[in-house]
Amino acid sequence: MEIIIEEITRAHKLIARHKFMQNNVNIGRGYNNDIIMADPHICAQHLSLNFNGENWVLNDEDTVNGSFYEDEFSKTKSTVHQHIVHSGQVFILGKSLVRVIFPDHPVPESISFSPFENILNLTRHPVFLTLSILFFASITGWLFNLHNPVEATFTQLLVPAVGMTLLFIMWPAGVALVSHLTKHEARFWGQLGICFVFFNLMWVSDFIENVVSFNSSSQSMLGQFVALLPIVLAFCLFWLNCHIGFHMTSKRRTVIATCMTILLFGGSFLIQLSKKPEFSIRPAFNTTLMAPSYLFTGSNNVQGFVDNSKALFSDAQEAAQEEK
Amino acid sequence: MKGLTTLILLCFSTISYAAEQAEEIFKQLAPSLYQIRLIDTASGEKSSIGSGFQISSDGLIATNYHVISGYARHPNKYTIEIFDHLGKKAPLTLQSVDVINDLALVKRTTDGEMPFFKIAQHVPRKGEELYSLGNPHDLGMIVVPGTYNGLKKESFNDRIHFTGSVNSGMSGGPVVNKNSEVVGINVATSGNQIGFLVPHDKLLNLYERYKASEPENIKAQMAQQLEDNQDKLISTLLNSEWQMRPLGEGLIPVVNIPFIRCWGESNADKADAIVLAVVANCSLDENTYISNNFFTGSIEMEYRYMQAKELSDTKFYQIFERQLVQVMPGNKAGKDDVSEFQCQHDIVTPSNHAITNKSVFCTRAYKDFPELFDVLYVAISVDKGNQALLSHFTIAGVSQHSALSFTEKFMESISWK
Repeated sequence: MEIIIEEITRAHKLIARHKFMQNNVNIGRGYNNDIIMADPHICAQHLSLNFNGENWVLNDEDTVNGSFYEDEFSKTKSTVHQHIVHSGQVFILGKSLVRVIFPDHPVPESISFSPFENILNLTRHPVFLTLSILFFASITGWLFNLHNPVEATFTQLLVPAVGMTLLFIMWPAGVALVSHLTKHEARFWGQLGICFVFFNLMWVSDFIENVVSFNSSSQSMLGQFVALLPIVLAFCLFWLNCHIGFHMTSKRRTVIATCMTILLFGGSFLIQLSKKPEFSIRPAFNTTLMAPSYLFTGSNNVQGFVDNSKALFSDAQEAAQEEK
Repeated sequence: MKGLTTLILLCFSTISYAAEQAEEIFKQLAPSLYQIRLIDTASGEKSSIGSGFQISSDGLIATNYHVISGYARHPNKYTIEIFDHLGKKAPLTLQSVDVINDLALVKRTTDGEMPFFKIAQHVPRKGEELYSLGNPHDLGMIVVPGTYNGLKKESFNDRIHFTGSVNSGMSGGPVVNKNSEVVGINVATSGNQIGFLVPHDKLLNLYERYKASEPENIKAQMAQQLEDNQDKLISTLLNSEWQMRPLGEGLIPVVNIPFIRCWGESNADKADAIVLAVVANCSLDENTYISNNFFTGSIEMEYRYMQAKELSDTKFYQIFERQLVQVMPGNKAGKDDVSEFQCQHDIVTPSNHAITNKSVFCTRAYKDFPELFDVLYVAISVDKGNQALLSHFTIAGVSQHSALSFTEKFMESISWK
């Protein structure tokens, strides 16, 4: 009679799978067993599985630490003694777990290829990936030059550009490593490709934010909407990281991506909040300045600006009374 | 030789006469001259000292506001007392203040009529010998001879220029003429025998107003004085001639009044500078003391023209952006005195369409004087690729109406050539 026995981790991840065509299967640490376990808490002759013509019966061989099975309903462990096995049941031997499956055990429905797969394959294409990383490094170098008080040479820009790029490679490398450690496929190049697409999109989002901030007045709400753009991008990146690197349900992937986005932006917000002084004598205002070629909005007139300023006086008075 | 001997004898006799006269004046006025002490109630020790003098037979004493400012601002934390020439102490009550002219009236209880200083009816003539009285550095009462040099020219609120030593601790002491009449009150020093006095007419005004009606609330009295003074200053500025002067390729307004003084600087001599920077700033050289870390009444305007030599427009404006971040208020104030700044910004073109600016306006309110605000304005032109003009002003302790009127005129005045 056919029977499949899987060695699994405590998180029920598959370690090894064995298929037998016999009516008797022995499990233990001894070398005469059908499945030889390495766990020192397991006895030499630990467990036997016998087919009695109708059912598979599992029996503990009076072992030191015993054998148990996980009860799905009561979530408790019960001792195994002449136990009739059901397909999918998990048994605990020492500190190891095995799952017994019959050949007719149902399998989940096949997962169709995601529409992202084609895009993901494109992003890991060597040409696309090289261009993507080069674009990222160029923008980094250009920004470094922009913030440098004097014009920097190509060699001076090379170090921060390469350094920053290597630093950003750490993220996809880290995700791939976690995938590998959790018994998933690492897919490093896939992670690298998608990460650099999103890192570049972040630069674009930064630019859009700056242009909007430069062109909008205090009265405009547009700046606040545009500020959501990097949050959305970060969520998408984390979601895709999970999609590429881990097998999980869509709901679980969304929850993890949301948590990581909250952790990133919430953490940054908390750090800023903790650094904010109790009272600042320095005025805080929008300081974004760009070259005239980025100015697309129409101008207000002096009277309109002065009228808008009137509201500040009552706001300041209220703040003064509240802080008093 | 005979002539020289006569000259030496004449000089000696003059010095000797002046010394005798100073001694005589001191003896005569000493009973009405006091050291004013601000006592911290928690420790029981003096927190600051100054001088004062009696101006009425019923115990009214004049001093500087800044000597008793701690009590005026925190009456529960301090008490004020006098220390007379016989070493006797007596408690004082605050009666009235003139925060603009740094004057205060305090009162002691009296058993009967007491001697007091007479306030002069006439302004001294230039070069007239005066005698400053006070207790410098808690060393004891002294008399310092000096001369009257008229009113300080670049001063919005009158101050007498006195050539004589006015030291710390003499603040609030009287300055008298040969007839022992008060012609001024010690208030400040610039060192090197340059002292400043509050003219006697300011004290006379305060005394007359006090006699007519005693103030009910010192803070309300201060608020009204600050508001009136700043409204007067702003209306004087607005009604004065605003001359347009070139700054690089820009045109900036310079208010043509003596108490607003302007200075300039540039890096035109630096051949390796990547940006040509030309700076001009104009400001009022005086401010009003409210307390140790709280000054108001100041006004300053700053203009900065910058031209990129070999920079891209993007980098040029990136450099300019850093200058915006450095903007600070023009006066000293802390969290106990003012709220945090509230700001708004916009792209603004004045009615002459001669410039387009990114303009920022910020204001903060005073906690103890609800109708007064500090305002800060900064604008940077955003219509020329490789050159930009920064215009900026701060005004401290101003009403909303005055602040907005000034802002409007200032914004309309900035342009390119």
